[in-house]
Amino acid sequence: MRKSRLVLAPAALLSAAALVLTGCATEAEEPASTGSTTEAATEAEAETFNVYALLPQGSDQAYGTTYLPQMEAVAAELGINLTITNSQYDADKQASECEIAVAARPDGIILWPAVGDAVRPCLEAAAAAGIPVTVTNSDLFDADKDLSRGFSGPDTYGQGVASAEIMCDIVGDASVNIIQLNGSIGNSTAIDRDNGFTDTIAANCPNVTILDEQNTDWTKATAQQVASEMITAQGLENIQGIYAADDSIAAGAIDALEARGVDAADYFITGIGNTFMGNPLVAEGKLDGTVFQSSSWDGGNAVRLMHSVLTGAAGAERQLLLMPSVKVTMDNATDPSVAPEW
Amino acid sequence: MSNQSVIKMGSEAKGPLGKLRVTLARRTEGRAVGLFIIIATVVTLTQPLVFTAYQVTLGRIALIGLVALGLTAVILMGELDLSVASTLAVSGVIMTVVANETNILIGVLAALAASVVISLINAFFVAIVGINSFIATLGMLFALRGFALVISDEQPVKLLNVEFGIAFGQPILGPLTPRILIFFAVFILLQVFVTRVRVGREFLAVGGNRQAAYDAGIPVKRRIFTGFIISGGVAALAGVINSLERTAADPTAGSTVLLASFAAAIIGGNYLKGGKGSIVGTLIGAASLGMLQVALTISGVQVPVQEIFIGGILLIAVITDPSSLRAVWGSINTVIQGLKNSRAK
Amino acid sequence: MAKESLTQAMAIAKSPDEAKKEVKGSAAFVVFMADKGIFVFTAILIAASMTFVDGFASLQNLTDLFHRAAPIGIVALGMTFVVITGNYLDLSVVAQAAAAGVILIAVSNATNLATAFAVAFVVAIMFGLVNGIAVGYFKANAVIVTLATTYMGLGLLRLLSGGSQVFGPSDGPIATFGSSKLGPFPYSAVVLVVVAIVLTFVLSKTNFGFMVRSFGVNEKSTRLSGTNTGFIVVGAFLVTSMAAMVGGFVLAAFSNTAVSNMATGFDFQALAAIIVGGTSVFGGKGSVPRTLLGVVFVSILSNVLVLSQISYGWQQVAIGSLIVFAVTVDALGRRAGKK
Repeated sequence: MRKSRLVLAPAALLSAAALVLTGCATEAEEPASTGSTTEAATEAEAETFNVYALLPQGSDQAYGTTYLPQMEAVAAELGINLTITNSQYDADKQASECEIAVAARPDGIILWPAVGDAVRPCLEAAAAAGIPVTVTNSDLFDADKDLSRGFSGPDTYGQGVASAEIMCDIVGDASVNIIQLNGSIGNSTAIDRDNGFTDTIAANCPNVTILDEQNTDWTKATAQQVASEMITAQGLENIQGIYAADDSIAAGAIDALEARGVDAADYFITGIGNTFMGNPLVAEGKLDGTVFQSSSWDGGNAVRLMHSVLTGAAGAERQLLLMPSVKVTMDNATDPSVAPEW
Repeated sequence: MSNQSVIKMGSEAKGPLGKLRVTLARRTEGRAVGLFIIIATVVTLTQPLVFTAYQVTLGRIALIGLVALGLTAVILMGELDLSVASTLAVSGVIMTVVANETNILIGVLAALAASVVISLINAFFVAIVGINSFIATLGMLFALRGFALVISDEQPVKLLNVEFGIAFGQPILGPLTPRILIFFAVFILLQVFVTRVRVGREFLAVGGNRQAAYDAGIPVKRRIFTGFIISGGVAALAGVINSLERTAADPTAGSTVLLASFAAAIIGGNYLKGGKGSIVGTLIGAASLGMLQVALTISGVQVPVQEIFIGGILLIAVITDPSSLRAVWGSINTVIQGLKNSRAK
Repeated sequence: MAKESLTQAMAIAKSPDEAKKEVKGSAAFVVFMADKGIFVFTAILIAASMTFVDGFASLQNLTDLFHRAAPIGIVALGMTFVVITGNYLDLSVVAQAAAAGVILIAVSNATNLATAFAVAFVVAIMFGLVNGIAVGYFKANAVIVTLATTYMGLGLLRLLSGGSQVFGPSDGPIATFGSSKLGPFPYSAVVLVVVAIVLTFVLSKTNFGFMVRSFGVNEKSTRLSGTNTGFIVVGAFLVTSMAAMVGGFVLAAFSNTAVSNMATGFDFQALAAIIVGGTSVFGGKGSVPRTLLGVVFVSILSNVLVLSQISYGWQQVAIGSLIVFAVTVDALGRRAGKK
């Protein structure tokens, strides 16, 4: 008797699994159909443009999650029909998506380079097909800039500079040692911010010494782990400050410090982003400063810039819409103009 | 494996239908062909651009499929090569670094030479030391990724000869780019090698029953070396093509390649434990996946929904394999039998 | 009848061990290293680290080590069951741990902790059942099945959660759990040990554990003995799902944050720990304590590499070479044992 029950159980489980599968299938179809009806609605109102947005992230990362809704909202408002891709920072996948985009002959392509060095062929293919390209979030190398009609987004190098300026400012003339926590390996934003920070420290306040640097994959958990180990390696008493490539990383570093029973407010700590996680830390005085980066500004202006290029509102020269790198410290942390977004 | 032989179902083939079934059962590409037909039909009806811009679709298929073709050579022998993803990255970096110092030809040769060294190390551990290939190449997956980062100084390396890179991405024969032509050349070479050349035909024997292969006088170890050189060499070729086309080498490249090429090979009917499978199957598997991906990209459906879709199709494809259905039928029979027995008691 | 042939299958499994006893001299040393090598290597690594690496032998670093080991270790302990059944690995732990973490924080923010646990539990069961049924009853390839459920799981998670990074209140129960310690041992280490004890018991003392091991040794004879083999595979995947869920909880609690990509790399990292511990990918051979030791070894190595300020590239080279080295010793030992 007992055995027959044992073999009946899987049969029941099987039907449950079938239900799950059909559930997934229907869910997969729904958003597609609703998407097409809204497209149809906007088409009737004004001139619509078809635009491909080739992004390296989306809802798989915190920044992309708040970047996308604003991008889609502005596109709907301006009558732009967006096709969005996510290459997950794989340059080869993005190149293939670019080929698809060029073959689809859209009115324009918005490009967020997965790997800055690798996008020239995509730009040339689009140029050969007469499709205007605008760049979002991470700008191109100087040699490639003439192949695009404009850039909108943060100045990633400048953010590193701003974070370093805050650091130099709060440190003053004292001679201090800091540790540096970068983003993820090979990532262009991580590399730009790293260069911006280290260049500025070397030029403006050589009294700040960077003892060690490590990568964190942009996650708080890894940052917390690695920061704690770096503090162990250098000795807590030898460290007076931490630079983190974004606020989640800074939050992890602050937790790593506080797990040792010290007050993070006693340390010189700067980050970048002014995120939901970082802003309260600035207000509390634990994070000495960060640099405001608006994901919604970034997502919305990517589409606005493309729209001005398509309607001819933009001039012939390359457009530049730079997100201001506003420094956020305790003085202005509660200011509504720098309210965190992601 | 003897899994399937245990559960007997409809083994007595009768009439033309039965004979057809036996023939089909002997081929391993059935599932891949079925999936291909379904995807091709749906895609033609909903996203005709996939076919009108066929050179783009072929490019995507070549991107997924090239590594998968090389991988099939080791899979046929019952071995696996997880290190292909890192081989791709490290060979791209080597090619670019060397090419920047000398010229592209020497760069390409250096990359291919490096891949041979990598393959020899892999095969040494598998054939001589006797480590399971899944583990040996897992270690190499980590180590080679590390070397790619060390050589490149943890940053993408720009190819100085940008003009050549750009030209390499242009069509040279009709609408076909060098990547697509190389992909088909590799397919034809491997297909001929595995079906017409004795050494290649012995791959299947090595995978089917290694002891029997030894007894029949097949130099099994040498075949394993050959297989790994093929998979490593083809992965390096893919890395070189990618870096040339992009005009830069990314040390973190290949992150999405490993699982996609495994998926292509397995959907193509290749049996991971060896002895069953074909190069054609892998081609069809890669074509199915490539078409699906291009169609989903054009459709503009939200990316998470695309992921759910690809996952669902993979799952359905892998559980509707004839042998899977036989296995389930066997389980159901066991249940019925169990019920009968308990009632008889 | 059933029990008889099962015992026979186990006897076949044991025979190499018996053969090892007769080996002498240098071969005996190699056999010893293969069998107990991970103990020796771990001891050497600890001794060397204590001598040469500043700060390694501090209480704070012990805490850090456990924080490093706990999430990935818990996942690896569970995945050991799938590996022993000869089904390679469960790629979907990446999606499962992330789902558990995001659900824990997002749902407990919206409702309460109990609801969050319940939802995460149901999701983990679903993962285990889909994986297990497809592999166990449909005899589908585990790599592709779990790759498929990874895609579907992450896709659904991003669709339903919106994908953003979630974090809990800094004085909530999750944050408190994540930062509290029992002496130098963080609570996550306690969870790791409890999971290890429970799973050791399940694998070595229960009927189910016995079936998992005999299935890995010889699938056919286990089936012929009348055991419901599909059921064993479903069970192994369920154990992995439960462990992945707990691992996700612990990781989320550590930093009090969760995001859908937080467990990236867990699949192959867990497999590496399992293999270094000495569990065979052929199936059959292996144990939970061995995996625990493998986790300790790999965690110490990563910890020491960061403490020594080694760059990320060289860290990867070191970890990869170590895996190859550990299994080389294992393979040489097995061969010496056979001679």
